[in-house]
Order: sequence, then C-alpha cells, then structure tokens
Amino acid sequence: MDAITVKHLTKAYWQKGKPFHALKGISLNIKEGEMFGLLGPNGAGKTTLINILAGLLDKDDGSISILGMDPLKEKETVKSQMNVGAAYSFLTGILSVEQNLRVYGMLYGIKNIEARITQLMGMFEIENLRHKRVYTLSTGQAIRVILCKSLLNKPKVLLLDECTVGLDPDIAQKTRKILKDYQKEHGVTLLFTSHNMTEVEQLCDRIAFLYKGEILVIGTPKELSRRIKTNSVKVDVLENGKKPLRAIVGRFKVRITESKPGMVIFETQGEKELPKIINAIIKGGMEIIDINVRKPSLEDVFLKIARGERL
Amino acid sequence: MNRVRWHRVAAILLKYYYITINRLDRIFDMLYWPLIGLLIWGFTSKFIVDISQQSQVLNIFLGGAILWTFYQRAQQDMGNYILEDFWSRNLYNLLSTPITPEEIILSAIIFGLLRSLITFALLAVIGFLFYSFNIFGAGVLVMLLFALSLLLLGWVFGIFVTGLIFRFGVKIQVFAWSFAFLIQPFSAVFYPLSATPLWLQRISLAFPTTHAFEGMRYAFATGKIAWNHLTYAFLIDAVLLVLAYYFFLHCFNKARREGIMAKME
Repeated sequence: MDAITVKHLTKAYWQKGKPFHALKGISLNIKEGEMFGLLGPNGAGKTTLINILAGLLDKDDGSISILGMDPLKEKETVKSQMNVGAAYSFLTGILSVEQNLRVYGMLYGIKNIEARITQLMGMFEIENLRHKRVYTLSTGQAIRVILCKSLLNKPKVLLLDECTVGLDPDIAQKTRKILKDYQKEHGVTLLFTSHNMTEVEQLCDRIAFLYKGEILVIGTPKELSRRIKTNSVKVDVLENGKKPLRAIVGRFKVRITESKPGMVIFETQGEKELPKIINAIIKGGMEIIDINVRKPSLEDVFLKIARGERL
Repeated sequence: MNRVRWHRVAAILLKYYYITINRLDRIFDMLYWPLIGLLIWGFTSKFIVDISQQSQVLNIFLGGAILWTFYQRAQQDMGNYILEDFWSRNLYNLLSTPITPEEIILSAIIFGLLRSLITFALLAVIGFLFYSFNIFGAGVLVMLLFALSLLLLGWVFGIFVTGLIFRFGVKIQVFAWSFAFLIQPFSAVFYPLSATPLWLQRISLAFPTTHAFEGMRYAFATGKIAWNHLTYAFLIDAVLLVLAYYFFLHCFNKARREGIMAKME
C-alpha cells in the first residue's frame, strides 16, 4: 500500500502579479515503510512539496493521499500520524528543550511523555541539553532537538527537510544510523530532502529528482547512477616530451575536461575505448604513474540535472 | 468550526505558562505596569478629591483604571503570546501538529483571562489597602458583568490583531501591544460621556467600552445596574466577536495559501 500518493500536484506563488510555478503537476507514490529521497537544486520545489504534505501550505490543484486519507478532509487524523523536521525551523526559543518537548508531546496526545522524552534524548545523545533554553543551542544541537520532536509521536510518516544540514560529520553519520534503525524497527515511511548525495544514497530506497517544479527521474540510487553512461578517467604519466599527453588522448572519442603536463581527465562512453587509449599512451613512450576510473555517481546525476543537461 | 481537543489547549496553556515564568517582561506586564498605573491614578484622584471634595472622583478614576486592565490584558496577551511563535520561528513546527486555529485562539483567551484575574486581584487589593477603594462597592454582579463585556472586546481586538499577524507577520507586531489604546479616547474611561462633544459621543456609543464605563459610573452613583448600557455592550461585543473570528479564519487560510506559515517568520 502507498503511504503517500501525489497526483498532478501544482502550486504557484504570486510575486508582483506574476506567477512562479513551484510545482508543475507532479505525481509520485511512496510505499509504506519506504525511505524516499527528494533531490534537486535550490528552487526545484522540494520544500514546497514537503510543506504541502505537512499541511502548512495549500495546493493549487491535484490530489494528495496520506496513509489512505485526504489530508484536507481528515486533517487531524493525518497530522497526528505524521511529523515534520526541518533544519531551518525552530522550537520556542525562550523554553528549555524539555519544556518544548513536553508541550509537543501534549499536542500529539502522547501518553507517558516523560519516558518518551528521556528515550529520545538518549537516542540523540542530548540528555545534557535537557534544561538548556532552545535559543542558546548551537545549530547542530538544535537540529537534534528538532529530530527528537519529529519522532515524539512515533509517526507513521516522517517528512525531513534537509535535517542533517549543520551537523558535524560524526553526528550526521550517527543521525543517519538512528533514522535507518528507527525506520527498520517501526516501518516508518520517510520522505527526505537533502543536498548531501552520499547521505541520500545511504538512506533512501528510491529517489526523485525535481527540477524547476517537475520530477525528471525516479528510481533507486543505482538505477539513476546508471543513467549516466560516461565514466570519468584521470591518467597521470611521466611525459617524455615527444608528444603531449593531451594530443594522444584527444585522438579518441572522448571529452577532455581537464589537462596539464603529465595529467589528463577525460570522459568516455563505457569502458571499451579505455584499453586502446592506455595502449596509445604507452606506445607514445610515456610511463603511466596512475589511472583512476570514476564510475558515475548520484552527484553526477544531480550536477547534470542542475546544469539543465539531459540524462 | 473544528472540534476542540482539550489536551492540545492544555499544551498551549502549558507553553504560555512556561513563557511567563521564563520571560520577566511577561510578569512585569501582568503585575508591575498595572500596579504603577493604579498608583499614579490613585494618588492623582486622591489629590483631586482633597481639593474638590468630590469623593466620586476616586470611583471614576480607580474603577476606570482597574476595569481598563481587563480589556487591555485580554487584547495584548493574545497578540503577545502568539507573537512568541513568530519570534522563535516556531510556527512551522506548531502548525504541523494537529492543532486547529480555534484551539490557538481558545488557549490565548483562557490564558489571558487567568492573567487578567491575577492583575485584577492585585489591583483590587492594592486599591483597597492604599485608597480604601472597593471595586465591588457598586455590587459584585454589576462589576463582573461590565468586566466580562470589556474582556470580550479585548478578545475581539486580540483575535483581530492575531489575524493581522498571521496575514502580515511581525512587521505589524506593534499592534499587539498598542491596539488596545486606539479606542481609549472614544471610550469615556476616566470621564463621563457627557463631558465629550456631541459628535464624539455618537462615535463613542459604538464601542462597548463606553457602555461599560458609563454603566460602571452609574452603578457607583446609584447602586443600580444600567441594563441599557449592559445590553448594548454585550450586543456589540457579540457582533464584533463573530466578525473577528471570521476575519481571523480568513487571514489564517490566506496565510496558508500563500505559504506565510511555511516561511516561519
């Protein structure tokens, strides 16, 4: 069963009488228990989609279903079974961490709030922040408090908008593990936006790329990476001075992206051409020091889309 | 209208309580400033009584000052406590919970009422101890009824200002603490309506505050309830309350349509 279904969703913002189309009729299905990533450059429409799903923003057209319910008609039931965490959102600054979490616990009607708060604070290693006022927290600490808040009601659907921005690598890694373990244990459906490709690759079962309000591709991280057919190859040599390395490599069907004496980086379609190129370099009398073949990654897909190139 | 869940109202009340105990200015505006106001009016009216031998002056000034706090607290508290979520950029998290606009308003009303009662109790006791002024001297019922009519108008303007805050954000936050005073010149708080020009009297009669303070003075002078003033005050309050509620809902829904809530500022 699908936890989230979005059909032909549109949203435009009006600025000085002109519409800015943030979402142009997007459709997607997210299965129950799936970890789904939303990627795309700034202004692609990721946050708009999250905000509409969270009930913070009205859609213009299209339909949404969350846990089989219409979130507009069954607002209370839907909202009590989901939660949101955004790195750029805050809790009430003048309240302590514990006071904030207690208030949110009551808003979600959680029984045994104190035990739940203690459990989550332990999970995110922020017990020491319990009595600190929220406005005194560092960015990383505040994000972990937001994550605690977002798991308070044991949500069936969790929307996380760039929620690991500002965490140091160690904490970010721990946070990813917590989310992954939590998802396995509770089967929560997770919709996740991030600019960190490694993170998305590690966490998400499927990914959608948004660009200018449209979904360009949806697939698993591997499927998406495979859509880029070119490998990037870096060759380092000791040049003998007879013929420049760039000239030898340039004879083949490749696209040279960078070169300097003794080094060239080029893109090839597949790997068939590579042995011939290596052979030509050796025949040219050069001693190869290092060859590095880099397979296309999710980041390459992201960059291509961000540049408006076709996959 | 959405169904009210009391555990969510209790959650917001708890939050307002935490804000009050954590923020000194929320204690000051409940206790210190009203007390200063009362002392100034008290000594001024005592001086006027001494030189004019008009003992009614004390009732007019102190009765006006104490009843005015009901209206002022009710209006200001609603705006101030809701503004806290804007200042903290907490609106995003708050509104993603199942809370409804009605529950937000109801919480602010209940908390404002509790704070008004604390302020009222303090002023009533200090007024009695310092100036031998009994706010219930004209009758408990009449005072409570006029206080309620003032509270209702405070909530009307509080709801109206809250709607404006949702619609336009913190740039109009000054209304949260100043809106109450906009109608003070038309409310005959410290002087009888008859002391004002005829054209101003016509405008003043459109405000429930005028009826409340006229009624209060009448009660102090005669010991009777001015039912006409009471009826007008509650009728105008009721109409304005309905209008304010729909205005708030309109602003709230427009803010959600335009993404103001999601911007969190």
